[in-house]
Amino acid sequence: MLNKIKTNKVASIAILLVAAVVAVMLRERYLALILCFICINSIAVTGLDILFGYTGQVSFGHAGFYAIGAYTSTLLAKNFGLNPLFTIIIGMIVSMIFGIIVAFPAAKLVKHFLSLLTIAFGQMVFMFVSVTDKLTNGYSGILNIPDVSIFGYPIKSNQAYFFFLLIITGLVLLFKRNLINSRVGRAFIAIRENPHAANGIGINVRFYKIVAFAASAMLTGLAGALYAHLVGFISPDTFMATQSNLFMTMLLFGGIATFLGPVIGSAILVVVTELMQSLVSYQMLMYALFILAVLFYLPNGVVGIAKWAKEMLTTKRQGKSRVNTTEYHN
Amino acid sequence: MVIQLIIGALMIGSVYGLVGLGYGLIYKASGLMSLAQGDMLMIGAFLGLTFYKHLQLPFIVALLLTMLIMFSLGMVIQRVLVTTLLKKGAATVYVILCTISISMVLQNVAMFAWGTNVMQFPPIFKKSVINILGYDLVPENLLALGVAITCMIALHFFMTKSKFGTSMRAAAQDPMAASALGINVPVTRGASWGIACMLAGGIGVVVGPIFGVYMSMGSMIGQKAFAGAVIGGYGNMYGAIVGGLFFGFVETFVSAYLTSNYKDFISFAILILVMIIMPTGLFKEQVME
Repeated sequence: MLNKIKTNKVASIAILLVAAVVAVMLRERYLALILCFICINSIAVTGLDILFGYTGQVSFGHAGFYAIGAYTSTLLAKNFGLNPLFTIIIGMIVSMIFGIIVAFPAAKLVKHFLSLLTIAFGQMVFMFVSVTDKLTNGYSGILNIPDVSIFGYPIKSNQAYFFFLLIITGLVLLFKRNLINSRVGRAFIAIRENPHAANGIGINVRFYKIVAFAASAMLTGLAGALYAHLVGFISPDTFMATQSNLFMTMLLFGGIATFLGPVIGSAILVVVTELMQSLVSYQMLMYALFILAVLFYLPNGVVGIAKWAKEMLTTKRQGKSRVNTTEYHN
Repeated sequence: MVIQLIIGALMIGSVYGLVGLGYGLIYKASGLMSLAQGDMLMIGAFLGLTFYKHLQLPFIVALLLTMLIMFSLGMVIQRVLVTTLLKKGAATVYVILCTISISMVLQNVAMFAWGTNVMQFPPIFKKSVINILGYDLVPENLLALGVAITCMIALHFFMTKSKFGTSMRAAAQDPMAASALGINVPVTRGASWGIACMLAGGIGVVVGPIFGVYMSMGSMIGQKAFAGAVIGGYGNMYGAIVGGLFFGFVETFVSAYLTSNYKDFISFAILILVMIIMPTGLFKEQVME
């Protein structure tokens, strides 16, 4: 009980600190944009987390879903003049449909072959959007994507868009928590731990893998659509394989299969990327070093460190030494 | 026209085949996957360029020196990074991630060392076109084809006839029994990563004059080679060659007769189709649990 109150205290202090930082950042247009990027990446990485963290299915092609969401929403909003709020939802659904299509073959494959299939998928989407000039305007990209408007009131400033994104991110995290705590989520975790045993206790492994892909693609597609309407410009460059690896880095760095891991990971990576804006050529090296650091020293990411610190504190008090930091999932 | 296309297809196909062969070797020896093969090719090309153009070494020396360096690089990656990671109990997916970050590091190293521009590899032969039986052929293409075929044949005899090759195959088949028979399994594993990188680096030197040498030259070749390896049956050396040639032909003829914009799109679509319909590949390798 005492512990619970203490954690609540720590949590509320953390929330207040974050809120204070956010409030300061919102005073400037550029800093507000960074906050928006953090939200968008959190959504996309949460999608990846459902697939990789909870279900144990790897994907190196999430940039593909990101692109599908972004291009669907953009094209519908621009060519048919539909309300962006509506097209974002369609982008999400189209991305989900592609997720299901990919999942049909992907649900049969393991490890290496799944990695390859997802890489191939990501490349196919990238190539499609870069060479189909008539539809997507090729490498030059699409300009002047309309802003989102709610009940006729357009969201123009980054600050306003941030609050819009904050609500969506909250909903996404809520969705993730409820999904993971439901029957479906428990099936995901069972599949991650041991697909054969999961099959043995009556879980339809193939079906749940497809569900995981669909949910994951849906969230990443949503993030892509939100990105397009935030920046107002999309080109194939954003959806290269590097983007998929970036999502992966964010997820691993934050900590996989955790509630806040994706948010923390994307916040850190986005901020570091922005800080290194002058050293763009070092960016990829930095991502690589982030991945290697996670792989070799902190397999559970930043959230793992936090948990470890907490455990250290509590075990010290109880005089036990049950600390296990290096624990890999699956 | 058709003859030139076939030669071109054979050339690019054998490049894919040779790089894909490396994937197969690594998979057979350690059950792992490296996604850095394409970047090994790129590093090899840059090293070859440096030796040949800046140090003025003869081409054959530059090629062999590059292969030696690449062999050591592959060995070091396996012995230092991959082994450490496996000792920590990481799943296969994490090893794949590790090789992805290695490939990013390699690309950055190449960028710092040689810059971002496309570098021209000086021509190896004096004539730019030679005439064989009335057909005009580019000698560099023939060289690439020749080197690829030589490497494949050499590897075949190395794996089947030499003692070390046989012990490599034994270690791949059953590590426990092999080590009981006195085979140094860690060394054979390291060697297979080394050979994979060596082949990729060596072929990088010979494709340098054809495509030009630049930072991201390896990524597409690496992925196509991978696709070829899957089509042939992942883990099967000969399958990787057949698969690589298949993609070489698909790519060349699709871009010649159908559409050049969508050639890579079509290649990957074929790959996905094969993975759906025939996941064990042409040579029936086990891919699913």
